[in-house]
Amino acid sequence: MADTFVATGLLGPGPSTSLLGPSPATDAVFLSNGLLGGLCVAPTHAQPEERARELQEGIDEPSASKQAEKKNTFQPNGLLGSQDLGGSKTDTFSSSGISYESQDDHFPPISDILGLIPKSPRNTVSSFSRSFIPTHIRAPLRATTYDGSAIHIARKRYTSSAPTRLSNLLDVPIHRLKDELSTVTASKLSLSKTTTRASELHKPSSSVSEDTLWVDRYRPRKFTELLGNERVARETMAWLKQWDWCVFGKKKSKKRLREDDENYNPDDEYHRPREKLLLISGPPGLGKTTLAHVVAKQAGYEVMEINASDARSAQVIDERIRPALESGSAVGSVKPLLLIIDEIDGATGGGDNSSGFVNKLVSLTFDRPKNKRKKSDQKDKRPLLRPIICICNDQNANALAKLRPHARQIRYTRLADSHIVKRLREICELEGLRADTRALSTLVGVAKGDLRGCLNTLQFIKSRNDEVTEPLIRRATVGMKEGDTTATSVINEIFAPLSRKRVKELGMGEEEEARYVNRLSHSIEGLNNPASIANGCFAHYINCHRHDANLNHYEKAGDWLTTFDSFSSIMYTDGDFALHTYLPYFLVPFHPLFRERGEKRVERDSSDWDNLQLTRANEEIYKSLANGIRSTGRTAGANRHLITGQVLQLEFAPFINRIISPPLRPVNSQVIKPQERALLVRLVEIMVSFELRFVQEKAEDGQNVYRLDPPIDVFVTYDGKRAEDIAVSRYAVRQLVATEIDAALVAKQADAVEKGKEHAKANFFKTLKKGITENADEAPESMEVIQGNDELRRLDASSEPGPENKRARTSGKVDIADKPPVDFFGRPIAMKKDLRRSSTSKKVVPDFRIAYKHLEGNSAAVRRPTKVSSFL
Amino acid sequence: MSLWVDKFRPKTLDDLHYHQSLSTRLKSLAASADFPHMLFYGPSGAGKKTRISCTLRQLFGSGVEKLKIDQRVFISPSKRKLEINVVQSNFHIEITPSEAGNYDRVVIQDLLKEIAQTQQVDLNAKHRFKVVVINEADSLSRDAQAALRRTMEKYMSNMRIILCANSTSRLIAPIKSRCLLMRVAAPNPEEMQIVLEHVAKKLKFDLPEEASQQIAEDSGGNMRKALLVFEALKMQSPDLSGSLNIAKPDWETYCHKVADLIVQEQSPARVLEVRAKLYELLTHCIPPTIILKTIAERVVERVDEAIKADVMHWAAFYETRMRLGNKKIYHLEAWVVKVMSLYKHFMYNFDMADFE
Repeated sequence: MADTFVATGLLGPGPSTSLLGPSPATDAVFLSNGLLGGLCVAPTHAQPEERARELQEGIDEPSASKQAEKKNTFQPNGLLGSQDLGGSKTDTFSSSGISYESQDDHFPPISDILGLIPKSPRNTVSSFSRSFIPTHIRAPLRATTYDGSAIHIARKRYTSSAPTRLSNLLDVPIHRLKDELSTVTASKLSLSKTTTRASELHKPSSSVSEDTLWVDRYRPRKFTELLGNERVARETMAWLKQWDWCVFGKKKSKKRLREDDENYNPDDEYHRPREKLLLISGPPGLGKTTLAHVVAKQAGYEVMEINASDARSAQVIDERIRPALESGSAVGSVKPLLLIIDEIDGATGGGDNSSGFVNKLVSLTFDRPKNKRKKSDQKDKRPLLRPIICICNDQNANALAKLRPHARQIRYTRLADSHIVKRLREICELEGLRADTRALSTLVGVAKGDLRGCLNTLQFIKSRNDEVTEPLIRRATVGMKEGDTTATSVINEIFAPLSRKRVKELGMGEEEEARYVNRLSHSIEGLNNPASIANGCFAHYINCHRHDANLNHYEKAGDWLTTFDSFSSIMYTDGDFALHTYLPYFLVPFHPLFRERGEKRVERDSSDWDNLQLTRANEEIYKSLANGIRSTGRTAGANRHLITGQVLQLEFAPFINRIISPPLRPVNSQVIKPQERALLVRLVEIMVSFELRFVQEKAEDGQNVYRLDPPIDVFVTYDGKRAEDIAVSRYAVRQLVATEIDAALVAKQADAVEKGKEHAKANFFKTLKKGITENADEAPESMEVIQGNDELRRLDASSEPGPENKRARTSGKVDIADKPPVDFFGRPIAMKKDLRRSSTSKKVVPDFRIAYKHLEGNSAAVRRPTKVSSFL
Repeated sequence: MSLWVDKFRPKTLDDLHYHQSLSTRLKSLAASADFPHMLFYGPSGAGKKTRISCTLRQLFGSGVEKLKIDQRVFISPSKRKLEINVVQSNFHIEITPSEAGNYDRVVIQDLLKEIAQTQQVDLNAKHRFKVVVINEADSLSRDAQAALRRTMEKYMSNMRIILCANSTSRLIAPIKSRCLLMRVAAPNPEEMQIVLEHVAKKLKFDLPEEASQQIAEDSGGNMRKALLVFEALKMQSPDLSGSLNIAKPDWETYCHKVADLIVQEQSPARVLEVRAKLYELLTHCIPPTIILKTIAERVVERVDEAIKADVMHWAAFYETRMRLGNKKIYHLEAWVVKVMSLYKHFMYNFDMADFE
């Protein structure tokens, strides 16, 4: 970098800035030739304080600053742009082909410029602070053009018309405030000493400080300044006015009262509107926040803004909102308070958790008056007496579900493009930016009406150019509005060609429109969930009725999908996420294959998800069946070969269903034929061993049904129909089987108990504890209950057929066996288990001698067996 | 009480009804001191596991039948817990590592090391080694197989491994070369009939000749399926006389229905219909490869000779891709569309030829 750098004037602004970057720090020699673009700003690594100090040094005319001593002379050429601040510290100054006059005594102005431009580097400042006297500070620039005629360029007076910002005073750091102050004094000083001469050549406003965003600078401040959407603004205002009675104590005029009838709440002793919240929703950048602020100011409120970006927990309500609302006005202000909750869709507590932000907010609004009216429990709770405005982007956001019913909703829609263009042009004029309507309307089109985005783009363009042209806009807005896409919109983009309107908005030519690969892959990538797009494509492509006799298109689509799947699964299994870049390209081909104008929009398809859920549910059933199988067989685990691999699904599940549904007749188990008896016994044995049961349930129509549990019959049910060769077992049969199963289970348990008892007796003193737990687990009472039930059910079953048979003959439609038992009058028989349970159980309890032993001390001498009944 | 499949399962090598030569070989192997690692392979239902358990009994006596089942928890490198059901006796341990999915390597390594490092404590044991039975060895991942190969040699003194697989094609060569390969072929219909009649005789009822023949033919060499079918038939029509209506598994019937749909009509609307049916099959947890295979076989039965090869070719093609991929339905449908397109092309050309 030590070499001399001679700008040839052919360098674009880009490279020159980049070369300039490190140059002030090194010994680089930079000779500006005056043809460098306006962007040729030396890097801004100067600290503001330093800058201010150096400026003051220049003004106070001290001995030249220490840094400056290192540098010798600075010879700016007369064509230096006002922002061209290349510092030079060489003795030689090579001319680059432009004639200029080096007039050190007459040529002080750069410091002046620097005084006004906050981004001046300190090297430059110091370099000339030695060589000129600050009295010349406001002298006009003198320069010579190519043809030799001298021109004077007047300094533009710095007008401190920086708009007052909406933000707090504390937004600006102290050093910046100091900095600003010193700049102002510097300019004042110089003003007093110089005479100003105007020159027509100078472009206006190019040196106006750029430290506020245009968005802030041109924010509407008055109600009348609000742009477009007058209805929304008026509605908001009207709602706010309804609070006047409550907040300001004003009486409404009769006329207004009538107008507001529908929202006037006569019950409310505070005369508040019925909906105490206002919810403004709309896409970003349209000015919702501004609207709220302006309207609030207009109506005479002090605004308190809670931003969900930094405070989104319910705690905030208790800590900040409630005290503020209860005090009624902000600290040090006489105006009443209005609360604006911005970005409320980012708040917590949309779901069921009752402690979320939104829930808290809602409760804040509407359960206060009750407390008030009761008068009795007037704790610290006071009614809400100040309006609250909530702002969100997505009206239907999940988080707002609880809020919506309690809020007045105002939807902020996109303004008419012409309005925005008009406003933009006004701003451009004010900023000295030449803009044609075409360029501006393109900008609005690309930004989809986002005024904030437009302004930011314009400011960005302004920093480089003085003119707004369409190509510039195109370049500047690349990537704008890409983020807010959903899977559905991307899928729609794939399956439908661009609408004419959008094509125009994006300013694409025929050729560019035809180039879909880049565009689509971008939007797929932008969503960052190619799998869901693939799913959508899969769900939809077959619906596209292309007149395709050979199914060629579908074939290709299938190929792309399978390739996509192979890729993505390899990516996930190997963790090779570099492949992610390629995934979108597998889905792009759906566009040429199935693009069709005028097709209906693609809706979200959930069938894949539904099927997945169903699969999960069935897997669980298989699992419970497998658990049942594992313990069966002659020896433990003898049937394990039935559950390995696919045997369970492919062989066991279909056949076990057939095995457990033999053609039994619904007759009482006492009068059954011996052959059927054997069948029944075998069935019960099998079912018990596989832990299959019939569970009684109430169907939707109130009838009792017996359901198989675990419901392995789903595996023979396809398309909602059972396999034909499996007879649907009837209610009575199932009941019969169920009772038998219960009986078998009881017997089994009883066996276990008996065994346990014997075991306990045998090893009474050896395995005390073990015996206890075993016995305690199988409490005799419950078993007796079951037995009691069985008897009951058997009774029911046997008593029924008599009267029912007759009825069956008359109706002749449904076999009685399919019906649950009914009494003589056709009412279903309710089982009176509870009544008889106690009696039966009491009777049978003494049959089991169950001992309970309690460990008292180490000696066996104090242990004695105690009957369970003594504890009951 | 248990199903016939379990009840009439041979317990010793002598009880086995078919593959006598295999039984004698196994017997002599068990008698000799140097019992090798073994790999049993053969189609499902041929009797691999029966032979393995018989061999174990031959090796260690009836002690191997005292089984206990417990659930072991393994921790994968990514700290995920894997629960594996382990069946073991004093002399052997039986695992199905495919339960662990991708982490089967962890299971294999941990378990084998643990077993290999503990010596047989029972002094009365006939052999000094324990046996590890690995079920579904063909679904072992490559990692797991690689983990197996060195262990097999290193801990030979303490442990023998018996692998059980449907086919050897997915086992890596080093494993195959370390094992004694035992092919258990599917029984032929006559052999199956013998077994069925044996069962009938034990249960003391009469099995008509044609019934047993039908069952044997229908189950296609799968003894387990034959016995299940037999029991289902017996349950549903206790006398087993008259025309037997042997039920196919429901998924199979359904697959055939899908195949018929494909052959009947080729249109996008039909593809949509088929898709719904494929989803139905998948939700019933029928493995997608089986679905593809069953449908393809049925389609091949019904289409013209000329395109049979193509249909199968594409079935194989998409099955490979399906194994690689995640979303099975994409591949199944891609195949369906492919077949439809093939069929249509064929019919179209055929029709045109007819015209001329």
